[in-house]
Amino acid sequence: MTNSKQSGRAEAATGIYVYGIVPADVEVEEDAQGIGDPPATVKVIREGDIAALVSPVPTDEPLGKPECLQAHARLLDGTASVAPVLPLRFGAVMTDEDSVAEELLRKNHDEFAGALHALEGQAEYVLKGRYEEDIILREVISESAEAQRLRQSLAGMSEDASRKARMALGEIVVKAIDAKRAADTDAAVNKLKGVAKQVNVRKPTHELDAVNVAVLAAVDDHDELQAEVDDLADEWGDRVHLRLLGPLAAYDFVVTRTAEG
Amino acid sequence: MTTAIQPAGGNAGGPSSSSLADVIDTILDKGLVIDAYVRVSLVGIEILTVDARVVVASVDTYMRFAEAVNRLDISAQEPKAGLPELVGDITEGGAKHKTKGALEAAGEKLSDLLGESSSSRERAPRRARRRSDDDE
Repeated sequence: MTNSKQSGRAEAATGIYVYGIVPADVEVEEDAQGIGDPPATVKVIREGDIAALVSPVPTDEPLGKPECLQAHARLLDGTASVAPVLPLRFGAVMTDEDSVAEELLRKNHDEFAGALHALEGQAEYVLKGRYEEDIILREVISESAEAQRLRQSLAGMSEDASRKARMALGEIVVKAIDAKRAADTDAAVNKLKGVAKQVNVRKPTHELDAVNVAVLAAVDDHDELQAEVDDLADEWGDRVHLRLLGPLAAYDFVVTRTAEG
Repeated sequence: MTTAIQPAGGNAGGPSSSSLADVIDTILDKGLVIDAYVRVSLVGIEILTVDARVVVASVDTYMRFAEAVNRLDISAQEPKAGLPELVGDITEGGAKHKTKGALEAAGEKLSDLLGESSSSRERAPRRARRRSDDDE
């Protein structure tokens, strides 16, 4: 496949992968690694006050191996701790460097520059909490007489005979966890609101998710944010396993204006 | 002024210590999108995007939770009599938010029964993350 018929020229099957937009004074460290195997060298395309972080990418191969996804995130998150960055959604590829400079950077120069200015000194943090299954199930059962009754009714019943009861029990559990998630998410948002400039409540990605909230906060306020999360962790104890991710690129707070996709 | 970009920062849990699942949640679903007409299409991304979708509660979920509840050894702690009393004690004694005290106190007490300390478990990963921040 190295000499496929459509690519008489080497460039034909190569595009420019774009990671994100940064201020023009940003430089890439020499050992920064891009997507691909072996990892591509990341370079900067500058245009006016802004620049794009890019690397070459073959366009005739599938993209999206775990290492590629993590390389994309690592480069942007690593940048976010030292400079404002507008992250692009994974998979943005343009034809060549000129098109990045003209179609992407020049065309949107003022808008990107304004957004970068607004992000200065800030980064995204994501608070993820997962219920400890045994603990949250005990909590649910102890709070629902109906769940206790259903649970007891299962004893000695055959798989077939108990199907309806199990279904009802499971539904009670799912609804109870939904309600707990809503309450705990509210509590977390209230807790973080003081430090965060903006908050975005994400959809749960797991049935045992307790909290999934992204906040935009000053990188200098990292310690205060961590202190609030510590407070929450103390309040919740072992029922929720909490993780604070960040600083990350502000994925949740940069929005594409022309919503076509 | 020139700002340097930090590279990966080693694989030993960089600043974000994001797992692959964390990354997928974020970068496939969020961030700026380039206008379709200047974008080059690639093979292989659509599938990933679909795989990353959230699973909505279904009959399978109900059944799985029912099994999990069934497996719990609840008798060991006499939920009916024991729990409300324990909850009462803790909300009186501690400086918890009263509105949420009952739920959390129940969780804490249960975790005590399970013999795990609530704070030490949470602290370890955080310090690790801090250190890696400082390294950079």
